[in-house]
Amino acid sequence: MSLASTDTMKAGPSMLARLFARQELALLLCLILVIAFFSFTAENFFSVRNMTNVLGQASLALTAGIGCAIVFISGEVDISIGSLLATIALPLIIIMNDTNSLLLGVGGALLFGLIIGVVNGYLTAYAGINSLIVTLGTMFIMRGGVYLYTGQRAIPDDAALDSFIALSDGRLFNVVPYSAVIAIVLLVVFAYMMQHRPFGRQIYAVGGNPEVARLAGYDVRRVKFICFVISALLATVAGIILAARVGSAQHTAGLNFEFQVVAATVLGGVSLAGGIGSLTGMALGVLILQFLSNGLRGLGLPTEWQLVITGMIIIAAVAFDEAKRRRIVGG
Amino acid sequence: MSVDFLHPGEGTAVDTGVPALEMRGIDKRFPGVVALDNVDLTLEPGKIHALMGENGAGKSTLIKIMAGVYGKDAGTIRMRGRELDIKSPRDSLKEGIKVVFQEIALISEFTVAENIFLEGYPTGKGGSIDWRKIRADSAALFNRIGFNVDPAARTGSLPVSQQQMVEIARALAHEARVVVMDEPTSSLTPNEISLLFTVIRRLAALGIAVLYVSHKLDEVFEIADTVTVLRDGRHVSTRPIGEHTNDTLIQDMIGRRIESLFPRKRGTPGSKVALSVQGLSTAKKLKDVSFEANAGEVLGFFGLMGAGRTELAKAIVGFDPITSGTISVDGRGLLPHDTHTGVRLGIGLLTEDRKSEGLMGELPVYQNASLASLGAFARMGFIDKAGERKAVQDYVDRFRIKTPSLFQQIKNLSGGNQQKVLISRWLMRGLKVIVVDEPTRGIDVGAKSEIFALIDRLAGEGLAVVMMTSEMPELLGLADRIAVMCEGRLTAIMSRDDATQEKILNAAIG
Ligand SMILES: Nc1ncnc2c1ncn2[C@@H]1O[C@H](COP(=O)(O)OP(=O)(O)OP(=O)(O)O)[C@@H](O)[C@H]1O
Ligand SMILES: [Mg+2]
Repeated sequence: MSLASTDTMKAGPSMLARLFARQELALLLCLILVIAFFSFTAENFFSVRNMTNVLGQASLALTAGIGCAIVFISGEVDISIGSLLATIALPLIIIMNDTNSLLLGVGGALLFGLIIGVVNGYLTAYAGINSLIVTLGTMFIMRGGVYLYTGQRAIPDDAALDSFIALSDGRLFNVVPYSAVIAIVLLVVFAYMMQHRPFGRQIYAVGGNPEVARLAGYDVRRVKFICFVISALLATVAGIILAARVGSAQHTAGLNFEFQVVAATVLGGVSLAGGIGSLTGMALGVLILQFLSNGLRGLGLPTEWQLVITGMIIIAAVAFDEAKRRRIVGG
Repeated sequence: MSVDFLHPGEGTAVDTGVPALEMRGIDKRFPGVVALDNVDLTLEPGKIHALMGENGAGKSTLIKIMAGVYGKDAGTIRMRGRELDIKSPRDSLKEGIKVVFQEIALISEFTVAENIFLEGYPTGKGGSIDWRKIRADSAALFNRIGFNVDPAARTGSLPVSQQQMVEIARALAHEARVVVMDEPTSSLTPNEISLLFTVIRRLAALGIAVLYVSHKLDEVFEIADTVTVLRDGRHVSTRPIGEHTNDTLIQDMIGRRIESLFPRKRGTPGSKVALSVQGLSTAKKLKDVSFEANAGEVLGFFGLMGAGRTELAKAIVGFDPITSGTISVDGRGLLPHDTHTGVRLGIGLLTEDRKSEGLMGELPVYQNASLASLGAFARMGFIDKAGERKAVQDYVDRFRIKTPSLFQQIKNLSGGNQQKVLISRWLMRGLKVIVVDEPTRGIDVGAKSEIFALIDRLAGEGLAVVMMTSEMPELLGLADRIAVMCEGRLTAIMSRDDATQEKILNAAIG
């Protein structure tokens, strides 16, 4: 190996990493601008309490957003996550009410989530049905199923286990909400996987060019399948936190949640075309939207306007990104 | 015994006699096409075996079968006596069969280094990717081969030639028993080709069996030990290279002789200026390029890799933006500077990178051909489908485009036949100026002579043909005048009678 040892390559980040670093830098700058703007204009915005509150609110989208981004990167979409939130709350609450055990409840919820992920993944990757159609279908089926089962009435959390309630209002060191801690830990773990584990890179390769990935010996279908399972399991975790927060299983839980997550993911630079983007970008996208809606509310702007502004920001951000990318490819 | 090019071990004794890979009675049918019919191929360890044949002869199909991309309909594959059951590329890679595919197969968003190790990332403790090793090893690999490629570059940002080098390096990054190269030199410079040949000889010396596909006869005579020729999916001959001459090889390939590669039927070009380019500069490359091309003339552009020929081609048809200068076709300025205006004025480009810039892979042959001239088939806002297909069928017949039907998706055609469809696209449009960038890349000898005849005829019909090429014989055989570029500048324009190989090369070096 004499040749390799004479090599003078710097161990600096790859060009790709630098490229995305720049994109993430732009997003970070946006986030700082948003926070700075509202700190000056909105009352009670720039306080530890409000900041950590926003972080807690963002934790649902952060957690589910990991899965959403991973599925996007693999070249597919998953819009069933909103309905999944409502669905898995049923086994969770029912089992806890029956057994008084958080562990069994969470286990039941994860099992449900796993099954949903397997169904989504199987129909997309192995049966070859378009993922938008598949997850649109499971989205309706799950929502309809929840309405039927609950008769459109909430099932309250009668067990009221301390450990479960802590998920909603507990704070680490009395500062950071547990839900945010969970989201951050998951984010770090999965971000590491995406950049530093062979499987993470396989996801990028499969989304970037499935034909090339196959030639390199990858099992494209298996990779996509697993991405759907990951997405469903992460949405399950988000669903558990939501159920703790509202203290019940609700048939309307997570309504439109998938669109919030998709919006944040796209804002974070994760391309629907597959193979492009990062979890860090997605997380910044979530935080920007969350701080924005919190700040606008602080200014007393009605929700209707928040929606309009969010929509405009997403289109502007993606347009900007597209223009930048075209310049990079062109030059 | 398998060998790693980067870390050749001690145990490299060549056990001759036992074939490294043996394919027997291979059949492969596609809807409407018999791609392979009872084909045999035997690769010996330490030997370089060339595979030749016309476009569509079945070379790439045979390779894709051994690579696990396609399943075979019949036949057996054995490796050193043991029968292999190859169901997917993974199986083939595991057996040490490494293929450089004809079409670039890289993830464009990944860095060069990552693409090289796509097939298996080196991992450290705990199974995490060892990025340092990936960067160091890929740099070492390029060093060892002698290719000048930046391992940290984003692959999609590199020119085709460098991507081809990445493909080649990738085949050498892991242990290999059989290395297959399907037209690896189609966009390499002579210098890079000689580096590649050194590598191939080193592979053979390590006991690896090499299968080499090329349309370039001189390459095959230089590098190969044995040649197998396929024609129309059938095995024609397998002979030691020493038994072949140019003529016998061509005879085997196309079943007839070629009288002259550069038939010249057209008269002398007129004096009417069809294309005028003045003071053209681009942000990236071109500096103050001025020239004129007359109707009926073939103006050949020569230059070394990176001289700016492709950039020039793209700029004058309105594809790439320019920073200053004017372009006019038949006296009318190319304003605004875009391809839509270009096509309206009558200037079109046949690109060098047909896969990403020319083909609509999923669309059928006839739509690919008629894409630029739909206006001509419009009857009150509707496309006259029958007329469109008839016109395309004309070209299919005239160029002998090998396709089972006009409805075949173009991605399923062989490379050379794809090129012919793209040429048809522009000819149907009725252009005044056609810019062709490396028109014979990946095209077999038979088709080459047809394309040369075609270019001759186009000029004869009064088109101005601007031809970018790195093939000296093509340049001298076809062009009326020769322009030479070096680092974005035009360094010489000479008439063919004044031109010598030496003059051209001197101008190309600058
Ligand atoms: N996936 C496919 N579907 C249908 N037909 C195909 C497919 N792949 C190849 N063919 C056909 O099989 C025949 C052999 O093609 P192949 O690509 O093996 O030729 P080749 O010898 O490699 O030619 P070239 O020199 O142009 O690369 C051609 O007629 C081609 O159109
Ligand atoms: Mg081929």
